[in-house]
Amino acid sequence: MTNGQLQEPQDEAVLMAQLKEILLREDRSALEELQRTLNEKQLLAEKINPIVEDHLTYLKQNFPKEYAKIVNRMVEQKLKSSQTEILDVIYPVMGKMINKYITFQFQEMKDSINARIDAFFSKQGIFWWIRNKIFGIDNAEMLLSSLDTPIIEEIFVIQRDSGLLYGSATLYPTINRDVVAGMLTAIKSFVEDAFEREHEDLEMIQYGSYKILIENMPSHYFALAMSGSISNTEGAALRNQIIDFIQENELLQSEHFDTVSQEKISQALDSQFIAPQRERLQKIKIKQNPTK
Amino acid sequence: MISKKVILTGSFGVGKTSLFNRFIYQQFSDKYMTTIGVKVNKKEITADGEEVSMLLWDIAGELSQDKVPASYFLGASGIIYVVDLSRPSTFENMVTDVEYLSHLLPDSSLIIVANKLDLLSEEQLENIQQSVAQKWNFATSAKTGENVEDMFIELAKKLIANHW
Repeated sequence: MTNGQLQEPQDEAVLMAQLKEILLREDRSALEELQRTLNEKQLLAEKINPIVEDHLTYLKQNFPKEYAKIVNRMVEQKLKSSQTEILDVIYPVMGKMINKYITFQFQEMKDSINARIDAFFSKQGIFWWIRNKIFGIDNAEMLLSSLDTPIIEEIFVIQRDSGLLYGSATLYPTINRDVVAGMLTAIKSFVEDAFEREHEDLEMIQYGSYKILIENMPSHYFALAMSGSISNTEGAALRNQIIDFIQENELLQSEHFDTVSQEKISQALDSQFIAPQRERLQKIKIKQNPTK
Repeated sequence: MISKKVILTGSFGVGKTSLFNRFIYQQFSDKYMTTIGVKVNKKEITADGEEVSMLLWDIAGELSQDKVPASYFLGASGIIYVVDLSRPSTFENMVTDVEYLSHLLPDSSLIIVANKLDLLSEEQLENIQQSVAQKWNFATSAKTGENVEDMFIELAKKLIANHW
């Protein structure tokens, strides 16, 4: 091979290799460095950990925003598909709660029976015992019936057609009583019209152990919201009490009534029907918690 | 203060409940929800220096003898009969309904209200006014509140006048 002549292909390849070696030296060392980083756990961790940590911090801060919908949907689906399993899990807890409630109710009943027994062995109690023996009344029945005496919680006197409130009294404050009187009249009117029972009036609304007794008069009606069971005798006594009340309160006969008469009737209702209930409840409270 | 029962009646969808809500709660909703049965509420207003407690009965749907228990109307001292200005069909029964109510409650004060005033131009309103046999006492808009309070005050005045 002489100067000015074409080089042989072998020389060319060597030269190219040398050229590559020169040009790619830096890239190759970077690649080797990268390979080393990827292959060595320690080095890889040093590079990746900050990125992962940043992302974890972001997730911690924004998880509800980013994933709430997905998680909610998953939970909903899981709840729907695993009702039996869920029941299995919560059953023991519910069982305990029910058990606790029943125990509490029994305790209340026991306390009440104890109070009755104490009263039973008083002078008056012995008198009642003798009386029960003479008339053949079972003492246990007597005790149980005295445990569940009715309580008048609210009383309303309402104009029959218009539903306007003549007066009311209550043991516990409730929602607007004018509205209650109006709605009660609407319900009463609806029932009486819908079933077309001529000359018959709605006399009671009951839900659970709670009752609304309705005593109908020609121009108005009484509605008594009561808890506890009411015997026929107690019902008759209440009716008599209402008739006495009407006779004593001439305001109830007036067609034109205003807020002044409404207040007077409400006061009379309170003193005759609600105040005795308040006193009775107070006595029961004192008996059950004498220290308080 | 005197207490009076007032009934709101008229065809379905004329805006009885909207008038009721506008007057009682100063609210309006575009969402239509039909009234089931009857809704009762109370509002006290002053008219001619006298206080009146109105027990308002918003009675659901069609005023027809077989659709609404007649007893709902009993004892009412005031009647608000509502028609819908945007639905001419609600005017069709107006004459017979008003006659029926006047016969059922001869001593009560009746006010005819044409509601949904906000949906009409003045020209359209005049055209309707000329075409109907029975005239209304108030054109109201439960949506904007236009004339609603005035209408109830007018009714209160009538109730006071009838009371004494």
